[in-house]
Amino acid sequence: MNWIFQHRPKIASVSLPQSMVELVPEKGPDVEAELAQYLPHFSRMSEQLKQTSKQIEDSVVEVCGSFQGIALRAKEAVARTAGFLSQAGDGNSDSRSFETLLDECSRTLVKILSVTEEAGEISQRAIERIRQMDQATQSISGAIEQLEQIADGNKILALNARIEAARAGEHGAGFAVVAMEVISQTERSQKVNAQVSELILSLRALAGSTLEDLQRMNERDHLRVEQCRSEADESLKNLQAAHDEMKRVLTGMTEEGASLSQEIGAAVRGLQFQDRTSQRIAHVVEDLETLRTRLTTRFGSESDTSDHAPNHGFSDYTMHEERAVAGIGEAESGAGDVELF
Amino acid sequence: MRKILIVDDAVSMRQMVSFTLKQGGYAVIEAEHGQDALNKLQGNPVDLVITDLNMPVMDGITLIQNVRKMPSMKSKPILMLTTEGLASKKEQGKAAGATGWIVKPFDPDKLLQTLAKVLP
Repeated sequence: MNWIFQHRPKIASVSLPQSMVELVPEKGPDVEAELAQYLPHFSRMSEQLKQTSKQIEDSVVEVCGSFQGIALRAKEAVARTAGFLSQAGDGNSDSRSFETLLDECSRTLVKILSVTEEAGEISQRAIERIRQMDQATQSISGAIEQLEQIADGNKILALNARIEAARAGEHGAGFAVVAMEVISQTERSQKVNAQVSELILSLRALAGSTLEDLQRMNERDHLRVEQCRSEADESLKNLQAAHDEMKRVLTGMTEEGASLSQEIGAAVRGLQFQDRTSQRIAHVVEDLETLRTRLTTRFGSESDTSDHAPNHGFSDYTMHEERAVAGIGEAESGAGDVELF
Repeated sequence: MRKILIVDDAVSMRQMVSFTLKQGGYAVIEAEHGQDALNKLQGNPVDLVITDLNMPVMDGITLIQNVRKMPSMKSKPILMLTTEGLASKKEQGKAAGATGWIVKPFDPDKLLQTLAKVLP
């Protein structure tokens, strides 16, 4: 029960219309008797008003409670969204903004590509060095050919020496031995030259195949790096676009939440009609009570007349609560009941 | 978080004021009349009081007079929030020690702006 119906008037004073009380006796005993018959209605009317006011208050409390829930959820959603949008990684925290993550991702990709490119450059330098080595081995082959020619010359020279030693007879015998030894050394030198030539050919073949492998790998890596760079750029662009869109949506949600909060504020203001209505009804109830008291004092108690009180207006009551106050007892359904026939 | 005491005999009004203040980031204590408010203020001072005028047991003016006697609440802002708008009533409130007077229905934004102004 709301206190205002039991205690003080919310308005400063209640001025009862004097004409309603003091002029009645002058109208004669018939009017007096009729007025007395209506006495029980005063308390019923008061009760109707009290209950109506209470129902309005209960409804407003319920609606306001729902608004609180809605506003709380909207506020939390806005706070979460705002937090997500403004979250910034400081390096010491696990939480990082999407922009920071995107930036880190981009920098990491650039680093990987840079390292791969560096490897390609090293490989290119290795190819150049192998080419230089190949040219050097070619020069060595040329030098070996010259050594071969020199050896051939030495052999002819040694043969001529033997011929001359034979002509010299006994005195040339020692020279003939030296000539034979020169031939023998020259032949050994030619064998070594041939082995070196073979080794150089093998080395050149090996260098050639290594060169080819390196060139193939280098070309392939170069293509891959370009492809990766292109794909990474595309992915980062897509990620940035997705993030921008998400940010736009979240910003919209933040604005919606703020707007909802404002609308709820306006609704709260509107709902305060109940407080004013409640007070005004309380004042009417107080007037009715005062009037009833004065009429009862004048014409006797309600119990003396209640049996004869006319039931005007009761037939218009449509709700259980109204009929209950009027004392009309009849079985009926309550609010929310469903009955199928 | 700043703490505010709401005093009103109407539960719906307490709820609406409380809702508005919580939205504004304040902590709220509720009392249903002046005496209830005084009991809740004992050993538990608040940063600001918002009170109705006409209430059972103890009205808003008497509440303010009593609150001003409490050392911890001597200089704290007290706002009247009432349907009453008579100049004479406002004078009574001012004389009792009220900081301001708001006539119902209140505007949530304006109420929060007023709090921001009167809170030190």
